[in-house]
Amino acid sequence: MKSGSSKFVGLLIGTLCVAVNVAVVAEDPPPTSDSPNFSQSIRPFLQAHCIRCHGDDEPEGGLALDTYRESARIQSDYETWEKILRIVQERQMPPEDEPRPDEPELQSFCRAVQAELETFDCTSHRHAGRVTIRRLNRAEYNNTIRDLIGIDFRPAAEFPSDDVGNGFDNIGEVLSIPPILLEKYLAAAESIVEQAMQDAAARRRIVVHEPTPELSLREAARRNLKRFATRAFRRPVRDAELDRLMALAKFAIDQGASPDEAFRTTLQAVLASPHFLFRVEADPPLGQHVRQLDDFEVACRLSYFLWSSMPDQELFDLAMAGTLQAPATLDQQVMRMLRDPKAAALTENFAGQWLQLRSLADIAPDPGRYPAFDDDLRAAMRRETELFFATVVREDRSILDFLAADFSYVNERLAAHYGLVGVQGDAFRHVQLDDRRRGILTQASILLITSNPTRTSPVKRGKWIMDNILGEPPPPPPEGVVELDETPEALGSLRERLEQHRSNEACAVCHRKMDQLGFGLENFDVIGGWRDRDGRFEIDASGTLPGDVHFDGPAQLMQILSEQNKSAFSRCLAEKMLTYALGRGLESYDRCAVDDIIKQLEQNDYRFGALVRAIVSSEPFRFRESLGKK
Amino acid sequence: MTQPRFTRRTLLRGLGVSLALPLWDSLPASVAAAGPVAAPPRRSAFIFVPNGVNLSDWTPQTEGFGFRLPYILEPLANVQEDVLVLSGLTHDKGRANGDGPGDHARSASVFLTGAQPRKTSGANIRSGISVDQVAAQAIGKATRFASLELGCERGRGAGNCDSGYSCAYSSNISWAGESSPMGKETNPRSVFDRMFADRNAKPTDQAVVRGRALKQSILDFIAEDARNLQTKLAANDNRKLDEYLTGVREIEQRIQRAERTHADTSGDLTYQGPAGTPRDYGEHIRLMCDMMVLAFQTDTTRVATFMFADAGSNRSYRDIGVSDGHHELSHHRGEAEKLRKIRDINRFHVTQLAYLLEKLRATPEGDRSLLDNCMICYGSALSDGNRHNNEDLPILLAGRGGGTIDPGRHVRFERETPMCNLFMSMLDRIGAPTDFIGDSTGRLPGLQI
Repeated sequence: MKSGSSKFVGLLIGTLCVAVNVAVVAEDPPPTSDSPNFSQSIRPFLQAHCIRCHGDDEPEGGLALDTYRESARIQSDYETWEKILRIVQERQMPPEDEPRPDEPELQSFCRAVQAELETFDCTSHRHAGRVTIRRLNRAEYNNTIRDLIGIDFRPAAEFPSDDVGNGFDNIGEVLSIPPILLEKYLAAAESIVEQAMQDAAARRRIVVHEPTPELSLREAARRNLKRFATRAFRRPVRDAELDRLMALAKFAIDQGASPDEAFRTTLQAVLASPHFLFRVEADPPLGQHVRQLDDFEVACRLSYFLWSSMPDQELFDLAMAGTLQAPATLDQQVMRMLRDPKAAALTENFAGQWLQLRSLADIAPDPGRYPAFDDDLRAAMRRETELFFATVVREDRSILDFLAADFSYVNERLAAHYGLVGVQGDAFRHVQLDDRRRGILTQASILLITSNPTRTSPVKRGKWIMDNILGEPPPPPPEGVVELDETPEALGSLRERLEQHRSNEACAVCHRKMDQLGFGLENFDVIGGWRDRDGRFEIDASGTLPGDVHFDGPAQLMQILSEQNKSAFSRCLAEKMLTYALGRGLESYDRCAVDDIIKQLEQNDYRFGALVRAIVSSEPFRFRESLGKK
Repeated sequence: MTQPRFTRRTLLRGLGVSLALPLWDSLPASVAAAGPVAAPPRRSAFIFVPNGVNLSDWTPQTEGFGFRLPYILEPLANVQEDVLVLSGLTHDKGRANGDGPGDHARSASVFLTGAQPRKTSGANIRSGISVDQVAAQAIGKATRFASLELGCERGRGAGNCDSGYSCAYSSNISWAGESSPMGKETNPRSVFDRMFADRNAKPTDQAVVRGRALKQSILDFIAEDARNLQTKLAANDNRKLDEYLTGVREIEQRIQRAERTHADTSGDLTYQGPAGTPRDYGEHIRLMCDMMVLAFQTDTTRVATFMFADAGSNRSYRDIGVSDGHHELSHHRGEAEKLRKIRDINRFHVTQLAYLLEKLRATPEGDRSLLDNCMICYGSALSDGNRHNNEDLPILLAGRGGGTIDPGRHVRFERETPMCNLFMSMLDRIGAPTDFIGDSTGRLPGLQI
């Protein structure tokens, strides 16, 4: 066994069965439906680099690549091929001690596999996917408590931070429950109940039924609990659950607790229960492949997607009536929810992570070079992008505004930073931009988080655009690359140095596009202020994108992105938002849902609301698959 | 349960002034010297620093006793005789081994596990159990907290952390099981409250007794909820509920331990605890160190981990005149200016370590010091931040492990000696011997002469 490939075995263990299976049926039929992708790029690559180990009688890792003789099999074994693609893309394979494919050859193979995977037949299988049970993350916990109790305690401020997967902190698989978190949950439950019962308004929300001569203390408590637990569990509480809660109250009384203390004990138990802390969704019944979620489950998916919180009374009522999933009703609810002030959570949590605004807090430009920067300016930068995003949401504007809008929001401080005159005071206001800035990529927030503390980084900026706008994240650099030499000025302008960097073909493959995108933003310094010079060099913000598309300056670049790259942008945004809405990473079969979503988006002038409605009505959003995939 | 040498009351009274005055000033020598004779427990702590170090200013020129402290280690001058510098250790599982880029994320997850983390940004996180948790699971029952996990950075809130590795790998060094990172506490106030929130509770008070019973009944209730749920859910979901149930059990055990050990942990506390997370980074680290000393001193736990910063941290160190980001700097490509800044950052971290060690040494325990009964393992799982190599790691071991270690030396091991062999030797001394951990191949010779 070659040393480099030992890891591959582990990675492919899961696909062993598939591969073995395949080997049995691979005798016939002869290749019929060969696509050019397969015959010109994939098969030669496999033959040159793979099948010596992954072939014949005892293929490495049980992966027999010589059995793939036609492109259709790539789609049917898409899980295996997604792994192969990733591993080759990351240059984990072929192993180090084998001859390396040259870079164009490798890229052409990857593109061909990608193209084959994209021909996945959406009509043959229904794949709704399966979300791992999700605990509430910190934002969701805070908001849920706020809406459940009526007081904005923000008790999760002291919880450990939620781990991030697939770019977001609401991914079921990744959200773990270390012991310290459970401890915090219990402590929070205690203090929330304590404070809620001391606050007259909050108490009235919980203690709706007071004992009367006709209503026993016990029965009043049961009714109050039923109401509270139903809202906390976000579905009707079951009688058996209520019985157990009442038994808990009785135990407390037996221990000498007052009725009030006993009631509080049960409230604490509700708030520490997995039914509150997790969003539970039932799997399809045995033998069934997919299951449509019930209205309560869909109400939760909606409310946590758009509000990062529990459903409100209107959603509950519709779920109770069983009418929430009527298409017109779903659409209406989405538009109502997007206009609700609680939709601020979408800005804070979705935009905050998609655009990485959250990382602004940790970024500190060099005060020697940027003495004007301080926390006020930092806050204003973040506010601008948040207000901008919230406007697109609230006014149901086109998502292309993110790239090309000629307006934004500034206060006096930010206006001065941008060189805009006539804006006074701390309040933000709508302003028309001059032709230097267009859309979010020219907002100081994004420009700052894509810079180093002491200098701009066209590479970082270009990579950021590819990652978050175009949805084509460049692969990590091959091992052993020489990093950019940034010895000041002696070796030429930053642009010249980057161009030298790209003379290496292995680097050029990706940097050709990445750096050009970044050059288009070179008129903006580290903190997003306009500049015509960098040290002794005049700024050259022109560039050429693949396909010989020229631009000169940020406004032209933004125009190109919003006109010629709008389908890539739509896909990128749809994928990110679907990931966020579902709380799981996307699988290859999700491209069927994504295609539908994009179609609807295009038919509706790229309006933000159309994107959300399309996500909400999609199969992955409203259905749930059993664990066995096929 | 070992008898404490002095009451917690005395210790905490002393701590009340510890931020202004050295802790030991207020401890009467007679108290420290009194008490029964059972051997004091052995404590261990593991401290992680990110991005490797500037090795040429870290490694002493000579081996054995009496080595001259290199620039980065100079702050240890007062405690040099309590510190072993260990050269030549390797974390092979921090290398790519076919997994491609992501050395920073790997460097944290491998640091105490010696296990190759599975490359994933989302589903199916897998590392290995860490040495501190092996210890905690063996000896944690004796103390109120099985272990304590501390840090200064909360973990990244957005984006991938490192080339396709989930942030869980770069923001945790402590793993209770292969897919269960422990999380960490970054606010010193919360650490204090966790340890001592119930400090004024009187065990005989009716309300306190009832409060415990009610708490237990809530735990019973939610555990039953979780178990009922598990019967209805599939494997991935059940893993999450397993974590939940582990948490419930951990708290149950803590309540029971608190009942058993209540006599030791009662007492009035003049020290009200830290106010919160200070803005100053050095102060933040030192406050966390105070909490660790306090935890050891009061025998609240015997096992701790502390990430001075998360893997790949790009923090800048303005207080010592470094405005570039640490991670960015660590890719120094041999430039003198950057190497100088890196060694200053490395030295800053070691200065904080010196604070901890001096404080531990100044805290008497029996006729020795707290540090004598400790093993403090400090270092990085990257050697040089530029090359991202995982051999010849910068590692220190401070303390005497209850007289089982002879520090004050620089010891060089054979190339490629697994770092996990050090963990094997530490676990023996902790009283949690094991057959292997991570990629260990045996014990580390030469910790004692």
